Amino acid sequence: MTAPDTSGDETRKQPRVHFDRHAPQYRDRFEEQTREFHSRCPLAWSDTYGGHWVAAGNRELLAFARAGQALSNDHDVHGERRGYQGISIPAPERGKGLRGGFLEMDPPEQRAYRNALNPYLSPAAVKRWIPFIDEVARACLDERIGSGRIDFVDDLANIVPAVFTLAMMGIPLKKWELYNEPAHAGVYTPPHSPEMARVVKAHMAMLRDIATTLQEVRAHPRPGLADALARLEIDGRTPSEEDLIGALALLIGGGFDTTTALTAHALDWLSRHPDERTRLNHDRDTLLDTATEEFLRYFTPAPGDARTVAEDCVIAGTDFKEGDRVWLSWAMANRDPQVFPDPDRVDLSRAGNRHTAFGLGIHRCIGSNVARTVFKRMLLQVLDRIPDFVCDPEGTVHYETIGVIQGMRHLPATFTPGPRLGPGLAETLETLQRACDEQGLAEPVTVRKAEAKIR
Amino acid sequence: MKVRVDPERCQGHTLCAMRAPEVFELSEIDGHSSPVSEDVPTDQEDAVVEAVRSCPERAIGVF
Repeated sequence: MTAPDTSGDETRKQPRVHFDRHAPQYRDRFEEQTREFHSRCPLAWSDTYGGHWVAAGNRELLAFARAGQALSNDHDVHGERRGYQGISIPAPERGKGLRGGFLEMDPPEQRAYRNALNPYLSPAAVKRWIPFIDEVARACLDERIGSGRIDFVDDLANIVPAVFTLAMMGIPLKKWELYNEPAHAGVYTPPHSPEMARVVKAHMAMLRDIATTLQEVRAHPRPGLADALARLEIDGRTPSEEDLIGALALLIGGGFDTTTALTAHALDWLSRHPDERTRLNHDRDTLLDTATEEFLRYFTPAPGDARTVAEDCVIAGTDFKEGDRVWLSWAMANRDPQVFPDPDRVDLSRAGNRHTAFGLGIHRCIGSNVARTVFKRMLLQVLDRIPDFVCDPEGTVHYETIGVIQGMRHLPATFTPGPRLGPGLAETLETLQRACDEQGLAEPVTVRKAEAKIR
Repeated sequence: MKVRVDPERCQGHTLCAMRAPEVFELSEIDGHSSPVSEDVPTDQEDAVVEAVRSCPERAIGVF
């Protein structure tokens, strides 16, 4: 495929590796391959997917994060600018032709979106929602607690992030399943699967509902992230409807599958390490924060992002040409032995944990406080109510490929049954919807400071 | 010991405030960090050194 090299450009693309993170065996080979990257080539060229750079070292990723205008996140879906391909390698079939929100934009446009959304997602903003999150998790556990059996993915970790994300957006909670199916299946279904047609259909239904939501909040304003985007103006101009839908789809994609993946992996690990689970439960006041950051580091649900080099430049000692594609591997950087002693070991009290699970630089995950809070509240309720859970390795289903999200489809577990504490999920969602509507829970922290009052 | 947070580098990861909540305060709006005071209380020095080691953006400096 490649034309004979007459420019000397190929000599620039060194050292060379074969890196295919979409291959089914990648998950099993991750640690071995990551060690190779760190020992031989923290920045290398791979011929896969049209050819791209792979940055695996923490130092290299920090250099890219600080490269400013030399790197672009732009996804030029209509060929209006420089034809850049955004943050995915390769570009996904799902949602083709739609820019991935502000994650596929550059400043100053990107900054306008983030400034509009930050007051809904800051630590102070998310803290107000804790009683709401607790109530969703309580209802999920109540649905299963009498039976002694749960699928941590289907019955808990899929539901709480989905319901809470919709609440923050200002979308009716009862629609969570309409959004849940495409948000997860769209990530784990391989392109060749016969299931793909159904997944694409579900994805289109979700995008239609997002478009409807934008029209609704314009006609009858109600607080939330959708309202913030509907009112967004950049230099006095309203963004295109397509870009707003892309931004809301990004919030769904970021809010749903990532936290589910983190929770499933953490619970699976705790089931395999019951002594550590007991220690975490007992010392939760000191360990909950460090354990959460360690699970984020070790499992890195979103393994990386791509960038496009926007001008000829030198970064981390390597020459780049405009148009080069770069994969920033947050997951591999999180195992960099120069930053993390004993990097392949989970240490729940790890100090100096400067992990990159949320990325680095101006595109750092805008929902990091949501992810941490939802994860911690689910984990605490599991430790409080079903502390002796045992996950079933036979029934555990990992994503077939983890190129996009390092997630699980199923994580069944058994435990000693316990008493219910309140109503089931359907009734709880009705109660919570009333709380959202009556208290304006989805207002930004600049408007509402008070904590949610539930029951 | 004195401490500063580079506002250009800070991206609101919030790890410093987890480690040294008495020294770093987070913006209500975007979670970006700034020191409550440039002067670090003696009993907080270890926590601040740990916060420096925890910052993914390497935005915190002590002097």
